[in-house]
Amino acid sequence: MTPSGFGKLSSAKLLTAAALIAVFSGAVVGLSVGYVVHYSAPVTRTFYLFDGTVPFNETMFYGHPHDTFVPDTITVNKGDHVLIHYVNIEDKGEAHTYTMDPPYTFDATIYGNATQQGIVSTVTTKDRIILAQGQNATITFTASWAGVFRYYCDFHQPTMTGYLVVIG
Amino acid sequence: MKLLRWTGVVLLLATGILDFYYGNSFAGFYENLWYVMGGIYIFAAIVIAANIEPHFSQLTVFAYTLFLWSVWATVALETGTGLDAVAYADKAIEAILAVNMVLLFRNSRAGLIV
Repeated sequence: MTPSGFGKLSSAKLLTAAALIAVFSGAVVGLSVGYVVHYSAPVTRTFYLFDGTVPFNETMFYGHPHDTFVPDTITVNKGDHVLIHYVNIEDKGEAHTYTMDPPYTFDATIYGNATQQGIVSTVTTKDRIILAQGQNATITFTASWAGVFRYYCDFHQPTMTGYLVVIG
Repeated sequence: MKLLRWTGVVLLLATGILDFYYGNSFAGFYENLWYVMGGIYIFAAIVIAANIEPHFSQLTVFAYTLFLWSVWATVALETGTGLDAVAYADKAIEAILAVNMVLLFRNSRAGLIV
């Protein structure tokens, strides 16, 4: 029986044809993907975060606290490294937390206030830290999951809430 | 010649697992595609191991490997992505895999037992 079609061609010819088709079509697909997708390389994005207040009497609005986050939205691209300088600027002895919704965790270094100088503590892969009046912290994490995630103060809900927006 | 086939299976599995690892660990640029590529490699490993339609499957794996190489190279040139140690390792294994498939295909078509 004589070979037909596929079988007629020599191995070298078949391999060459397959290689040419594969490389050419791969280049077309690759160039198209590169053209269509506007990719931005991950960068470190730095934010300064403070506690703030809205000027209303806390006893007037169902007992809701008047504390807020400033800013209340942080927007990054997926894959970015995020560095947040969080400062408790309270003028009275009030503590705030920085807590993140899962799956996010972060590393943080907490620095002292006027009465307690230097580094107070260092934490890794935590979802919550507490800052006393006058303390500040550097918070770092990688925005590995796209979506909208809360960051909030456990003590002052529901008003002291911000949103991390990760564009995927 | 069986050695060539089983070497190919090991290389296919290694590339498939590496693609899964890459998709899982690298966030930010269409990581789901790496899962798909890895899945196809693992499926191909099963086909090559079972020696199903060897001439066709070996040639297809060879072409698939070169196709992905070409996609990676052009995307990397255009966007600067996929230029890291894991991707380099993955592409190095794929290059060896392509050579392995050439040898396997030539031998199997020459009628040698593979």
